[in-house]
Amino acid sequence: MLEALLGTVNREKVLIYIYARNEGYPREVAKFFNTDLRSIQNQFEKLEYGGILYSRLVGNTRLYTFNPRYPFLAELKALLDKALSFYSAEERDRLTMHRQRPRRTGKPL
Amino acid sequence: MKTVSDMNMSELAAYVCSHLLYNGIEVVLSGGACVSLYTAGQYVSYDLDFIENLSSGRRKLKKILEQIGFHEEGRYFKHPETDYFLEFPPGPLAVGDEPPQQIIILTFATGQLKALSPTDCLKDRLSAYYHWNDRQCLEQAILIAKSQEVDISEVERWSKGEGQLEKFAEFLGHTQ
Repeated sequence: MLEALLGTVNREKVLIYIYARNEGYPREVAKFFNTDLRSIQNQFEKLEYGGILYSRLVGNTRLYTFNPRYPFLAELKALLDKALSFYSAEERDRLTMHRQRPRRTGKPL
Repeated sequence: MKTVSDMNMSELAAYVCSHLLYNGIEVVLSGGACVSLYTAGQYVSYDLDFIENLSSGRRKLKKILEQIGFHEEGRYFKHPETDYFLEFPPGPLAVGDEPPQQIIILTFATGQLKALSPTDCLKDRLSAYYHWNDRQCLEQAILIAKSQEVDISEVERWSKGEGQLEKFAEFLGHTQ
């Protein structure tokens, strides 16, 4: 949807995912969109280098989120919000309706 | 003209800035090197961050820097005669979500250096403290405020826009 503007479809996937879920890491994004991990990793690295995302280590996982110091963050989020509204209801739900609340260790499903 | 090995950080930054400008690339010094510049070396940075608002392209940058002895190593440019190294983070030049209010031009024997003003440099450091809770950057902001004349009312206005008046008050408390 934003591929022409962003350059690659995987960059759009990364940004939409982070916008919908606030944070994420390459493996889960690649799995979510069923796409190539290396290509998604590249996009995370480029977006971090460009100051749009920043990352921190949580255990062994490098977790990314939007960089609050990025000067066009509010405008970027407005664009992603509009783009997300054009996704199918099913795709939107998959992106946004996921468990956020904690689950106690060992609790049966 | 001094050799690169004899240049201090400010002189080297001015040398690089002038050489780039002569070749059509306008950059502004930002980040920790600016803190070093305004605190008379109380804070030391070996990383010279130059920001170009509209990138001229890595290939052109590399060619021009090679003329003065810098070579590309990953995302940095290094010189065999100095420990200082250059980095060119992508633009835009910004403090928080605003462009800087003022760019200062400083003259050294080695050339002219464009840099963030002390007030914008202070805001840049506070931005890292406000959004990432980085206390090292808070310390650097305090150092600048104690070493330079800064426009505190402008910093307060900007902090309000960033939604960080509480942390601004904490910063102010440290400077008095």
